[in-house]
Amino acid sequence: MKLLVNGENKEFSEGIFLEELIRQLGVRKETVVAEVNRHIVQNDQRPGWRLSDGDQVELIQFVGGG
Amino acid sequence: MATTLEQVKSEDAYQINGKTFHSRLLVGTGKYASNELMAQCLEASGTQIVTVALRRVKLENKGEKTLLDYIDPKKYTLLPNTAGCYSSEEAIRVAHLARATGISDFVKLEVLYDEKTLLPDPLATLEATKILVKEGFTVMTYTSDDPVMAQKLEQAGAHAVMPAGSPIGSGQGVLNPNNILIILEKLKCPVLIDAGVGSASDVAVAMELGVVAVLLNTAIAHAKDPLKMAHAMRHACEAGRLSHLAGRIPKKLYAQASTPNKDF
Repeated sequence: MKLLVNGENKEFSEGIFLEELIRQLGVRKETVVAEVNRHIVQNDQRPGWRLSDGDQVELIQFVGGG
Repeated sequence: MATTLEQVKSEDAYQINGKTFHSRLLVGTGKYASNELMAQCLEASGTQIVTVALRRVKLENKGEKTLLDYIDPKKYTLLPNTAGCYSSEEAIRVAHLARATGISDFVKLEVLYDEKTLLPDPLATLEATKILVKEGFTVMTYTSDDPVMAQKLEQAGAHAVMPAGSPIGSGQGVLNPNNILIILEKLKCPVLIDAGVGSASDVAVAMELGVVAVLLNTAIAHAKDPLKMAHAMRHACEAGRLSHLAGRIPKKLYAQASTPNKDF
């Protein structure tokens, strides 16, 4: 199925869980916050959060700023 | 009465929403040549509160070190900013994302209006302040140096009001000290100078006015030697604070001899 991750179209296996998506992308899960369709998914909900075709996922982290 | 410098400093704490701090320098983490240099500068500055931003993970940089590999949240209080937000909705979203990290419920609220001046949108800033305070954030609000706006933000529940000394990143120092003095007279909550600082003397001037602390980023990060500047900022901040506490002499139009001119 297709997901839009941080603005990029990507193909993943059907019904992938958010935690698994983060793992497959090689993103360090302890420093990332996830939004699905503009809804923040709390870190402890990620392992059980099943994604659907067309979902928009945003993975956000702290960067330098003033 | 405190007699040594260390005693004076240790007794001179301040609080933001019940959390106690001693360092009066807040330092940003943007624009450094490297994260290693940034970490060294934070250490040298003596800061306890560091601002950070939130942005998309770059998916091409798999497994790369992140900012938090260089900043220990146990050592520093992280102050996530809402930089780059041009509406209260966007700023609130970023604050929610920051809190969802589980690392900090502090937010440096910044709702901008104009890309060239980076001046804040006062109405959107006020609205977002009200909402985020209600939601339990510790809200430190960036504003212009308008004393009326500063009072409105305090009334809205801001835990700290942070007028710009001059435009963000401009290095012009505190352009209107009179407005800052009026804000200090009117507000009971902590007032910090946020933005516009260019050099150590700018920090000292701001602290002498009586602000609780100064927040800066570019002045260190873009100095020719950022590490030296971080040291300079720390000393200037402490000197300015001590000068404020000590109480300066009044300015006079005519000379006053320092040496007795009789009895010789």
